[in-house]
Amino acid sequence: MRKWTLMLAPIGILIAGLMVLYLKAHPTIGAVRPELFLGLSYFPWLAAAILIAFFVQGVLIHRGMDHLIFPTVLLLASVGIVEIARLKPALLAPQLRWLCIAMVALLVVLRLDSCIKRALDYPYLLGIACVGLLGLPLLFGTEIGGSRNWLVLGPMSIQPSEFGKILIVLFLAAYLSDHRRVLTLPSRRILFLRLPPVRFIAPLICIWSMAVLMFVVERDLGSALLFFGIAVIMTYMATGSRSYAFIAIVFIAAAAAISYTAFGHVRVRFDIWLDPWQDPNGQAYQVVQSLFAFAAGGVWGTGFGFGHPGFIPEVHTDFIFSAIAEEMGLIAALMIMACYIMIFWRALQITLACSREREMLLGAGISVLNLMQAFIIIAGVTKFLPLTGITLPFVSYGGSSMLSGFILLGMLLSLSKEQKHG
Amino acid sequence: MADRKLRKQILQAASACMALFGVLALYIVYLTTWAAEDLSSNPLNMRSAAARADIWRGTIYDASGTVLAETADDGTRRYPFGKMMAAVTGYNGENIGSTGVEGHANRALLGLTDDMQRMGPLAQLLQTGRGNDVRLTVDANAQKAAYEGLAGRRGAVVVLDAETGAVLAMVSTPAYDPNDIETNWKVLSKQADGALLNRCVQGLYPPGSTIKPMIADAALTEGATDEKEVFDCTGTLDVGGGHTIGESHGEVHGKVTLRDAVTESCNVTFGTLGMRLGDAKLKKAYERFGFAEGIGEDIVMEQSHLPDFGKLSNGDQAQVAIGQGTLLVTPMHMALLADAFANGGRIMKPYLVQQVVSPNGMVVSETQPSVWRTATSPEMAAIIDSYMERVVEKGTGRAAHVFGVRVTGKTGTAENPAGADHAWFIGSADLPKRKIVFAVLVENGGGGGTEAAPIARRIIESLA
Repeated sequence: MRKWTLMLAPIGILIAGLMVLYLKAHPTIGAVRPELFLGLSYFPWLAAAILIAFFVQGVLIHRGMDHLIFPTVLLLASVGIVEIARLKPALLAPQLRWLCIAMVALLVVLRLDSCIKRALDYPYLLGIACVGLLGLPLLFGTEIGGSRNWLVLGPMSIQPSEFGKILIVLFLAAYLSDHRRVLTLPSRRILFLRLPPVRFIAPLICIWSMAVLMFVVERDLGSALLFFGIAVIMTYMATGSRSYAFIAIVFIAAAAAISYTAFGHVRVRFDIWLDPWQDPNGQAYQVVQSLFAFAAGGVWGTGFGFGHPGFIPEVHTDFIFSAIAEEMGLIAALMIMACYIMIFWRALQITLACSREREMLLGAGISVLNLMQAFIIIAGVTKFLPLTGITLPFVSYGGSSMLSGFILLGMLLSLSKEQKHG
Repeated sequence: MADRKLRKQILQAASACMALFGVLALYIVYLTTWAAEDLSSNPLNMRSAAARADIWRGTIYDASGTVLAETADDGTRRYPFGKMMAAVTGYNGENIGSTGVEGHANRALLGLTDDMQRMGPLAQLLQTGRGNDVRLTVDANAQKAAYEGLAGRRGAVVVLDAETGAVLAMVSTPAYDPNDIETNWKVLSKQADGALLNRCVQGLYPPGSTIKPMIADAALTEGATDEKEVFDCTGTLDVGGGHTIGESHGEVHGKVTLRDAVTESCNVTFGTLGMRLGDAKLKKAYERFGFAEGIGEDIVMEQSHLPDFGKLSNGDQAQVAIGQGTLLVTPMHMALLADAFANGGRIMKPYLVQQVVSPNGMVVSETQPSVWRTATSPEMAAIIDSYMERVVEKGTGRAAHVFGVRVTGKTGTAENPAGADHAWFIGSADLPKRKIVFAVLVENGGGGGTEAAPIARRIIESLA
């Protein structure tokens, strides 16, 4: 029974939040009638999402997989959905639909877990697929919101980088586990650095370069930072070599310095971070408004539906954390962050219980990826780090982001089944 | 073992990630607590203004429920009476702030209470989307009579309920139109003593002869004279140092008692009394009637400008006793002086806001009349009141006479450096429903009996 009660929190938030919004929109007494309720355009999707969620939890419990992570992820998703419904009511139904699709994708991943594990046998194929996927926007990309990282396919627009991150984690896990011993073999010393032959670190250099390329050409600073960070951390996890970390930091510092001098948009981001009050109504408008949102929220928040997060452009995607902090306060902000930490901690437990190196690396990669993405965007909207546009996993509006998040989650949960059997 | 090494490295990297995340959490705590105050008060922060704009500002009503200010469907503020009510309603503008009742009752009109800000989301339980309504003491008819009585001349009229201090009318001209003040703001704000000045409570004028009832009170109270003493008015009074005080229009009143001196507004008699009283007793009288004090809250009245008591020459003392010299008072204060004699010696505290009513009709607060100060004894008040009654019956204030109503009054024709004399009339009227007191001032209007008293008559008729 305890395995099921966890589902109460996300479903409760979802229903209570939507009820509040419904009552706010229909303040007259007597407006709450069942038939009106059933007539809501999002109602079918809401019902479907709840049913699928229970089904997924049922599958997880039945198969003896981890049953704590999924409700926690769902909790984040329900907070996101409720806030999206308050910010952009028109996007509520699409977001619920994406949640349904993502949960179905999760089930598919759980079903195909053996295929995915087999894919780990072909690291170079994964690497090439990843490069290919990330390269697509360069050829066919469309610029949306200042980043040229979108592919428009008919009525849908997808962000290949969201799916690229799945491939990159798979690639790194496969490649690093195959070459762990070679990579840690000190065959050459340059100054105080101990480096293996160039041909072994070439793929890593390749990934790093790709990240920088995205940084510069696609203007997708968030994804670039994420890819680069995950590559560095997974390399360290696999090899334990500080030389790699050092090289990576030198590499990114050099790349950042070059792009700062050479590219205007990078310079603008950095200058905004250093001093947003230089141009608070122009370039730094978004960040300044976000800071005002945090200040307005204070500890307890203004109350759900009573803040003014609408002052922040793009508040429902990248800046949703600011909206949550404004309306639900520091309390909610810290709870959201605690959710990411709990997911991370639980994912690490799954990872450490794995028996095979590549699965261990895969699990660690997914755990770090999730936490790092949350870190990058939360740090961005609070001006802790320069702002880089990226979604808050499971919370922000966006199909690609939701889908890739749940696919990664599926892969992680598959690993939790592993620990029972072996 | 390699496996163990891998686990160790994973844990190391994971710990680093979590530590970074923890630092970020601490930073957010800092941002929402320590840094919040500065950010909230940043002039670029539009959130508090937006929060106020979200609230449907309440309606301002007069005593009988006539709308004086309301929020239209498009969110703009409408003032049906425009200039006529400007001194009462004040204005409310996004960029220019607010004054008058709009300013004083701002929080009530927005439905805010003091400790809401610290309550976070709980405040939403108390906050309605619609602010409270405010019901004033003002009578739109009296206000109209006063405004029309001034007929475009510069001046001020204050009418109070004698027994409660409730403001029945408050007119200041020239007036601004609160409906379009924001567009005219640049011009209005540059005028030194223009429409933005509420003359009733901020305008300072020499009171002239309207101060004589108080001097009569002081002279009787201090024993400087009695009701039987006969003064001999020769038309001029030698105040020493080669200076004299004369009567207006060169009149000679001959043998007069104090009562006659009030009726005929005899400068010679009051100049004599001023010199007899001397600095200390004059000062005491002015303080007794509250001229050294202002008033706050909904009636923000300036304190009067009193002469430098203690350093006055005989001539100055005589001038102060006939309301000239460096003495400057507000029209509101002269209405309060009239109240002292009409209300048995007690001056009521003037107020404008009778009730604050919540959107669902609940009375949030109700103003109870209170005594501002006890200026004189009931017996003394009755004597002076009878003198003032005679002013309207037989003296200089006959123009204020209304058939069937007991009206008291005192005229004033105040010399001033700005030009023609200011016309004053203060007094009271015993109406069937209530007793009122009033002060009428017409700037540079000429004689109080001919210019100001008829306006008082008009107001009395409007309320009768």
